[in-house]
Amino acid sequence: MALDLIFFARVLIFPGFLFLLVLVLFFDWLERKIAARFQNRMGPSYAGPFGILQPIADYIKLFSKEDITPKQTNKLLFVAAPIFAFALFVFALFFIPIDGANVILGSSFEGDLILVLLLMTLANFGIFLSGWASLNPYSGIGATRVLTQFLGYDIPLIILALGPAFLARSLSIVNITASQTLPFALLTPWCCALFFLVLQAELEKTPFDIPHAETEIVGGYETEYSGRKLAFIKLSEDFQFLIGASLVTVLFLGGAHGPVFFGMPELWHVFWFIIKTIGVVFFLEYIGNVAARLRIDQVVHGNWELLIPLSLVSLALTVVIEPLLRSVIV
Amino acid sequence: MTKKRRRLPALIKDMGMCLLKKPFTQEYPFVKVQAPEGYRGRQVFHPDKCISCGLCERDCPAKAIELIEVSGRRLPHFYLDRCIFCYQCSEGCPREAIEFSTNFEMATTERAEMVVTPEEFMSNQQVTSDEGEQSVD
Amino acid sequence: MEKFEKAVEILKNNLADAIVECKVPRPRKAYILLKPERHRDAVSLLLENVENTALSTITGTDLGNEIELNYHMACSGTVTLKNRVSREKPIIRTITDILPGANLYEREIFDLLGVTFEGHPNLERLMLPEKWPKGDYPLRRDWKLPEKTEFESSPEETSQTESTTEPGDGESIVNVVIGPQHPALHEPERFSFKVDGETVVDVDMRLGYVHRGIEKAAERMMFFQDVFLVERICGICNAAHTTVFCQAVEDIGNVETPPRALYLRTIIHELNRVHSHLLLLGVAGHLVGFEALFQHVWRDREPIMDIMERITGNRLLSGFNAIGGVRRDIDPSTVEMALKNVKAVRKRSKFYKTVFEEDATLRLRTEGVGVLNKADALKLCVTGPVARASGIDVDVRRDDPYAAYGEIPFNVICYNDCDTWARLMVRVEEVLESLDIIEYALSNLPSGRLRVRVQRKQPEGEAVSRVEAPRGELIHYVKSDGTAYPYRVKVRSPTMANLIAFPEIIRGEYIADIPAVLGSFDPCFSCTDRMVFLDAQNGRKWHWSLDDVNNSKNGNGMI
Repeated sequence: MALDLIFFARVLIFPGFLFLLVLVLFFDWLERKIAARFQNRMGPSYAGPFGILQPIADYIKLFSKEDITPKQTNKLLFVAAPIFAFALFVFALFFIPIDGANVILGSSFEGDLILVLLLMTLANFGIFLSGWASLNPYSGIGATRVLTQFLGYDIPLIILALGPAFLARSLSIVNITASQTLPFALLTPWCCALFFLVLQAELEKTPFDIPHAETEIVGGYETEYSGRKLAFIKLSEDFQFLIGASLVTVLFLGGAHGPVFFGMPELWHVFWFIIKTIGVVFFLEYIGNVAARLRIDQVVHGNWELLIPLSLVSLALTVVIEPLLRSVIV
Repeated sequence: MTKKRRRLPALIKDMGMCLLKKPFTQEYPFVKVQAPEGYRGRQVFHPDKCISCGLCERDCPAKAIELIEVSGRRLPHFYLDRCIFCYQCSEGCPREAIEFSTNFEMATTERAEMVVTPEEFMSNQQVTSDEGEQSVD
Repeated sequence: MEKFEKAVEILKNNLADAIVECKVPRPRKAYILLKPERHRDAVSLLLENVENTALSTITGTDLGNEIELNYHMACSGTVTLKNRVSREKPIIRTITDILPGANLYEREIFDLLGVTFEGHPNLERLMLPEKWPKGDYPLRRDWKLPEKTEFESSPEETSQTESTTEPGDGESIVNVVIGPQHPALHEPERFSFKVDGETVVDVDMRLGYVHRGIEKAAERMMFFQDVFLVERICGICNAAHTTVFCQAVEDIGNVETPPRALYLRTIIHELNRVHSHLLLLGVAGHLVGFEALFQHVWRDREPIMDIMERITGNRLLSGFNAIGGVRRDIDPSTVEMALKNVKAVRKRSKFYKTVFEEDATLRLRTEGVGVLNKADALKLCVTGPVARASGIDVDVRRDDPYAAYGEIPFNVICYNDCDTWARLMVRVEEVLESLDIIEYALSNLPSGRLRVRVQRKQPEGEAVSRVEAPRGELIHYVKSDGTAYPYRVKVRSPTMANLIAFPEIIRGEYIADIPAVLGSFDPCFSCTDRMVFLDAQNGRKWHWSLDDVNNSKNGNGMI
C-alpha cells in the first residue's frame, strides 16, 4: 500500500502532472520574457508580479472561448489528434529524471533515450494529423511542413543524441546523467552546439519555424482550432519545448546532479535541473532571435546537405575521442 | 556588390546588449506622457472673443463645426468625432478665438461627450489646461 | 534638363502634322494637344528616342462634350500628350502593346469614365465592384449618387479557395485565393494564386477594396480644404501628397513660394521618407520571420516621429503644407533637438545597413528572389526604389527638382542586382541620404516669410506635378475652371505603378517568397485605391503575405 501512495504522489503531484504543468507554464513565461528583453520591450508584466501569471491567464482565456469544429472534418481525428500529441509529450517527460530518478520509480531501462526520442516523433505525427484533419488549406500546408521538417531533422537529432550515450556507455538517461562528473558539453562541445541547432529545428523555432509562419500560412496546423482544443495544442507545444530543453540538460549538462549544500538532496536536484534548463532556454531564445525564418527548401537542403554529414562527423569524433576521456568520466 | 557572408556577428552583440538596457516601452497609462508644445489636441475656445462670423464653420474640411445659438449668440460647437485636428479653424479665425491645447486624451464611451461646447468655457475662468484635465462647472 | 527639351523637340519636329497645340508654361512641363488617335505615334517616338522614358499615368477628364485623355510621360520633366474622344463614342486605341505598363491605368479609365480601349488584353473593372450597374460612370460630371448603394458580393469574391482540379488528379494546378480577409494581410486585397506544388504559376490581383472616392470628393471641396483631403490618402506619405498638390495648385495660380517654406517642405518630406523606409525595413524583417529586427527597427524610428511631433504637431498626419507655403515655423530649440535625433538615427541606420548587407539568413531569403530585370522594369514603368534596384537611374528629386532639391546636394542610390535584396538595400541607403539632406536643410534654413496669401479662387488652367514619394514617383494632375473648386484632381500613387510588376516577378517563385517580394515592393494600398469615386467605405491598410494553399474537398494537402 505504501508503494501505491508514493506512486500516485509522484505521478500526480511531484514530479508528475501538477509539477510539470507548473514548470511548463513557468517556462512559457520565461520564454516570452527573454524574447521580449532581446527585443527591447517589456514582455508580460501586469498579470501577477512580473507577469508570471500571464500563461495561466492565457489558458483560462482559451478555455472560456467558443470551441468550433468544422462541419466536414472527421470529428474523431480532429478531436483526438491534439490530445494524442499532448499525451505522448507528457509521457515522454516521465522518462526525464527531473529529481534524479524517473517519475515512475524504477521505470528507467536501457534504451529509454530512444524511447523518449520515439515518443517525440510520434507526438509530432499527432500534430501533423491535427493539421491534416482540419480540412483547411492553410492547415494542410502547415501540417506538411511539420512533417517535412521533423522527419528530416529527427535523423541528426538521434545521431547527436548517441554521442553522450557513447561516452556514458549506456542508453539509459538516468545512467547518462549519473556518469557526468564533468558535463558532456565541456567534453564534446561540438556535439552540444550542433544539438542546439538541430533542436531549434525540432522545436520549430526560428530560423526553422516555417510550420508556424504566421505571415505566410496564418496559423499553420492550428488554424482551425479554437477554445479548449487550441489550449491543448498550445500546451503540447509548450511541453515539447520543455522536453527539448530537458534533453539538452540531461544529455549534456549533467541533468539533476549538482552540489548538495544542505537539506533534502531531491530538492537540490530539482533546483539544479531547473537552473540548467533555464540556461538552455536562454540560449535557444538567443538563437531564435538573431535569425530570420528560412524557406522550406533551404531548411531541407540544410538538413540533408549540412547537418546530417556534420552530425555523423561529430559522432565519429566523439567515438574516437572517447578512450581519451575515459579517465574523466565515472 | 555582394559582400562576403558573415555569421551574424553584429546582431548577436546588439541583442546581447539589449538585455542590459531598460525596455523601450513607455508604460502608458501608468506613466503619464506629456505631448510636446504645439501638439494639435483638443480645441480651446474663447467665447468672449468670438464674433460669430462663421468662417470656421465654412472652412472646416471635415464639416465638424456647427454654429448653434447659445445664450443669444451663435457660437461654434466642435464635433470631435468628425474633427481631423487640422487647425484650419484656428488659422482662419479673425479674432484668435480658437486655440489648441496639448490635450490628447479624448477617449470616451459617450457620443454626447465628443463635442466641445462653448458652455464649458463660458461660466468659469479656467480653460482646459495642458495637463489634460478639464474642469467643467 | 536636356532630356526634356530633347523630347519636346523630337515631338515638334517629327509629328508637326499631329500637334494641334503645344504649351510649355513652366520649365519641364509641356502640354501637347494631339489630333485624334495620334497618341500611339507620339508615345512610341518618345520611348525610342529618349532614354528612361516612362508613362506616369493616364488621366481622364470629362469636358462636357468630350472626354480628354492625358498621357503623362515622364522624361526628366513631364510631357503631357492630350487626346480627346467624343462622349457618345468614347473609343480609343490602347498603348499596352507598346508599353505594357499602361495596363492598369487604362482599366481604371474604362471602369470609372467609360472609355473603351481597343486592343487591351483584359479590359475589366479595376476599382468598382463587379456588380456595379453598367453605364454608370462615377467620374463623369453629371453623375448622381445611385439610390441603392447596397451591393451583394458576388460568389467568386467570397469563396476563399477554389480547386480547378478533380480529386485524384495527378497534376494539379491549384487555385488559391488569399483575401480580401486574411489574418496576415494588413490591407485587404484579393490575390488569386495558381500554384503547382510550391511554385507559383500565375497570380491575379483584384484591387479596389479600400477605394474611398477621394478624387470625386476633391471636386466638392475647395482647394485649400483639398490639401487636408489629399493628405489623408496615405498616412506615411502624407507630406508627399500635400507637397505635390500644393505645387500643382501653385503652378495654376502662379504663386511664388518663399524659399524658407521650400526648405521646410523638404525637411518634412525627407522625414516622411526616413520614417517610411525604416517602417518598411522592419516590416520586411517581420515578413521573413525576423521578429527581433522588426522590433528594433521600429524602436529606432521613434526619434523621427518625435521630430515630426515637435515640428508639425502630430506624429503622422502633418498638416504642414498649405497652398502658398507652410503653416508653422520651426524654432531654434526644435532645430537643435531635430539635429540630435538625426544623429542618433543615423548611427542606428548605419548599423542596420551592416545587418542587411551581412546577415546570412536575411540574405538567404532575399537574394536572387523576385528578380525584375532592367528591360522589363522599363516596359512596366515601375518607379522609385523598385526601379532603382533594377538599375534604372531615375529620381524625381534630381531629374525634375522641386521644393529645395535644386540647392541641396544628395546622391541617388542605384543598385544593379534587380532582386529583393537590392530593393531593401536601396531603401537602407536612402535613409542615410535623407538624413544628410535633413541635416543640411536644417543647418541652412533661409530666413523669410513662411507663406504667401492665396485666394480661394484659382484662375483657369491645369498643372501636373510630380514628387518622389517614399515609394516612388507620385503624380497629381489638377485642373481648375476658375472657381474655388477644382474641376478635376487626379492622383496616381507609386504603388499602383509598381504593382503591375508583381505578377511578372512572382511567377516561378516559391510560395514562401511571396511575402518577401511583396514586402520589398512596399505596397501601400490605401494610396493605390484612392482613386475615384465610391462612397462606400471599407478600410484597411497594408497587405502582404499570401500563400497558396491547396484545397480540395477531401482535405488533401500538397502533393
